[in-house]
Amino acid sequence: MNSPTPAIEIQHLAYSYGKAEAVHDLSLRVLPGRCYGLFGRNGAGKTTTMKCLLNLLRPQRGQVRVFGLDPAQAEVEVKRRLAYVPDQLAFYPWMTVRETLDYLTSFREHWDGKKEQELFDRFGLDPAKRTDALSKGQRTQLALIAAICPEPDLLVLDEPTSGLDPIVRREFIETVIGAYQEGQPGSRTILVSTHLIAEFEGLIDEFAIIDQGAAVLTVEADQARERYQRIRARFAQAPPTVDLKGALQVRLEGRELELVVNGSGPELLERIRKHNPESLSTESLTLEEIFVAALKS
Amino acid sequence: MLFHINFKSGKPVYLQLVDQVKAAAASGALQPGEALPSIRPLAEELRLNRNTIAKAYAELESLSVIETLPGKGCFLKQNHSPLRKEIRRKLLIEEIDQAIVMAHHLQVPGPEFLELIQERMKALEHKRRANEEHKEK
Repeated sequence: MNSPTPAIEIQHLAYSYGKAEAVHDLSLRVLPGRCYGLFGRNGAGKTTTMKCLLNLLRPQRGQVRVFGLDPAQAEVEVKRRLAYVPDQLAFYPWMTVRETLDYLTSFREHWDGKKEQELFDRFGLDPAKRTDALSKGQRTQLALIAAICPEPDLLVLDEPTSGLDPIVRREFIETVIGAYQEGQPGSRTILVSTHLIAEFEGLIDEFAIIDQGAAVLTVEADQARERYQRIRARFAQAPPTVDLKGALQVRLEGRELELVVNGSGPELLERIRKHNPESLSTESLTLEEIFVAALKS
Repeated sequence: MLFHINFKSGKPVYLQLVDQVKAAAASGALQPGEALPSIRPLAEELRLNRNTIAKAYAELESLSVIETLPGKGCFLKQNHSPLRKEIRRKLLIEEIDQAIVMAHHLQVPGPEFLELIQERMKALEHKRRANEEHKEK
């Protein structure tokens, strides 16, 4: 069976700013139609990676492919099919919201006016307002309208919700991703970088946790939640010595035992059961907890 | 119908949706011919990726629990499993085996386990009847 051309394929990417290595041997692949999260702490290399996809930076080692094309060779073709919302937004300050969108539309072959109107209504954004008078949240809304209305095959979002208040963040996630994916879900791909992971919990199909420029973990979200579990046990007396090899974290307090495990859950559960605990329960970690666990271990 | 998602249950999110539709169908809370919520509003309400919901609906459709009418949405089907009886039995046996293993681990003895099954079946029947009475009114 032929697998579809990945929307993004990164192999052994490396990039340094002078002596400071921002990305160090990063590999990942994003299939069309997926919502892919790039999770990492500040300075982990998320923005540098995205800039390499857009040919804003040239990879120093390794290679990147977008829709199977080299962004350095086929820059126009690649950029026709994607939209990028950077972490630092810049608009011409003297233009109004309407003028800004008209200006941006002129670069695009296609523009969904109905979607634009729908998003205006949802956000309550005033088209006559000058862009230098917009709040941070409104600037993000404008950038997102501009990114979604051309209906690109790939949406690249760099920290789209940082600096926004919780209400705007919720609104953003619900509305924008819903509006973007409507239509041809099979080809609408999202690459989103963030360190506010909890907000993307239900939206992410698959993610990479990157640290110091390399991927620590790339996995499907459902699979990650299945592998990373918290086990709680309470014993009648002070806990017996159980072999806890394979646990990422162990907490012991009086008669209670709490473990965080990665994949070795069933095995450890079996070992704990042998000691007849009074109570025994498991729950999945949230993506944010998985992020912390993956970086700490 | 109203869905509830629990990210901590360890069960894939799309399966949680599948199971909730199946449960609603079995209890009569969702009636044959009744529409399921459409994908985009549901995605926004639950703050889920539409892929997840589409995957759940595709699974339900392949199990013949629902049918999709193009341009109209997804609807609960009459209860006719397309699978042969032996396959249906096999699928059910897998589930029962799991419950039996669970009962063993939780130290619930056999007779009590059987009693529990009868009790749960009665509870479901009760729910069904309540839903039907409600419909007749």
